[in-house]
Amino acid sequence: MELRRVSEVVWDLPQEEGMRVPGRIFASEALMEHVQKDRATVQVANVAHLPGIVEASFAMPDIHWGYGFPIGGVAATAVDDDGVVSPGGVGFDICCGVRLIASQLTEPDFEAHRDVIMSELARRIPRGVGKGGIAPAGLLTDILRRGAAAALNQGYGVDGDLERCEELGISQGAALNAISDRAKERGRLQIGSLGSGNHFLEVQVVDSILDDEAAAVYGLAEGMVVVMIHCGSRGLGHQTCTDHLRLMGEAMHRYGIDVPDRQLACVPVQSQEGEKYLAAMATAANFAWANRHILAHEARQAFAVALGVEDIEMPLVFDVAHNLAKIESHEVGGRSVPLCVHRKGATRAFGPGHPELPPDLRSVGQPVLVPGSMGTASWVLRGSDSNPSFDSAAHGAGRVMSRKKAKGVASGQEVRRRLESSGISVRPGSVRLLSEEAPYAYKDVDAVADVCAQADLAAKVARLKPLGVVKG
Amino acid sequence: MPYTVLSHTADTGIEATAPTLAGLISELATGMFALVASGGVAEAGLTIEAMVEAGSVEDLVVDVLSDLLYRSEVEDLIPIDIVITLSAPTNALVRAGGVPIADIEVLGPPIKAVTYHDLAVEETPDGWIGRVYFDV
Repeated sequence: MELRRVSEVVWDLPQEEGMRVPGRIFASEALMEHVQKDRATVQVANVAHLPGIVEASFAMPDIHWGYGFPIGGVAATAVDDDGVVSPGGVGFDICCGVRLIASQLTEPDFEAHRDVIMSELARRIPRGVGKGGIAPAGLLTDILRRGAAAALNQGYGVDGDLERCEELGISQGAALNAISDRAKERGRLQIGSLGSGNHFLEVQVVDSILDDEAAAVYGLAEGMVVVMIHCGSRGLGHQTCTDHLRLMGEAMHRYGIDVPDRQLACVPVQSQEGEKYLAAMATAANFAWANRHILAHEARQAFAVALGVEDIEMPLVFDVAHNLAKIESHEVGGRSVPLCVHRKGATRAFGPGHPELPPDLRSVGQPVLVPGSMGTASWVLRGSDSNPSFDSAAHGAGRVMSRKKAKGVASGQEVRRRLESSGISVRPGSVRLLSEEAPYAYKDVDAVADVCAQADLAAKVARLKPLGVVKG
Repeated sequence: MPYTVLSHTADTGIEATAPTLAGLISELATGMFALVASGGVAEAGLTIEAMVEAGSVEDLVVDVLSDLLYRSEVEDLIPIDIVITLSAPTNALVRAGGVPIADIEVLGPPIKAVTYHDLAVEETPDGWIGRVYFDV
């Protein structure tokens, strides 16, 4: 497909037959070379076919080939103008996201207790194939209704945690009968579990601060040890997406909708099927908010035990989702309209002054958490004043290499050796799988953060450097 | 090997051929779990028997594979010796043995779900060919 360069970091895919809007990709020339190596640009164009889509089919700087939507895809549809909701625009891992926890520890403090901290984290964090969750199955119903608040009510976490979560850690509109018994069965035994693939818990240190004011508001300081957790809604979310994709694949024809890839199956937001999906998505999202909340509690416990203290102060910096569809108000054509904003591998990034931000964050904007690959940096960004893509920014480094190819570059043992020799402790669910998630399989996360800043998607606040990883 | 692994930047897929649709679904299912694990022996009493009904052959493929993923997760097993019997053009009886997860050698991350992206199920003069991508 022909790409037209609009500026240093903005590229357009002109409208072709069937596209209702153009495609718009945020990338540097170097990142665009990666983008053009797979089928991601075709997927950006395919998303532009969705009924009711407005302005553009956007792609964040970490874009790569996904299924249906590209990973890093953002699409907003006009709710009052037959705009659609597409489960494929959310993905199977509904409300997958990232949580960042601060601490009072410095890097030397961590070094003095490195092995015991990492071992305690490894012991407490369930991960990998077939591993169950740490929380009782009986919590499921309350968690599906109330997300992280249900977990907090059961003693996981501390006061103040919810205020530092997107949506306060509770997706509104959840309904127990919106998800299937199969979904509940899968979720029951996985409450408080990391999963596998690219999910992780990482101990990091704040390497540098680029925005003193925002960092102070977020509670970050140079040299501070922090913990980052990346996981989602596990089998419950996967089953929920599977169930609704099936239903929508059948239902969309009744609404006269045709899409170029069946994974983009969709129905009007304002339809029975659309409303039922949004309720199901909210219910699964509540599982994810609670899942990260419980794992964060477990991480705090691990640090406390390792350091031999009863209580430890490890405040939550923020928790963001990067796989959700949300009804938000945005300006389109000079007026504020309700949009269904799909973010598939993209992070909500509300700028300063946004009324939905907690009061203490409102002056600087929402924290945007961009994890890098295992062994490289991660970033804390903040929402900007003039985000050009419906308040959305990148969600990670983005892959450049298939799992199959990555496995051929180095063995899991070799990847572990390289990480350890760089000062990064590794506690994998499976040593073999480390090769699939090796740093060389991902884009340069610093380049992704650069483009976020240049394109005004989000501004840099702090760069984080890994010290240890508990890998799913 | 009647199935091949397809390259994908983030996820993975397989393509398979077989003389019959039932054989194709069996090959795709076998290939899907071969991405995740190998080894172990079926445990007596750990079996799968399920009826899957769909509206099209494409849906049947996705539904059978999705059903097996669900059973694999909730029963903590990896299905082996997967046999598909078609009771109607788009209805399948699925039978398989099960290896306890604890006994397997992990080869890849668990598959989250079966996607419709670039899905193909076609009958050709030489038999059936199918292509499925998975979310990993």
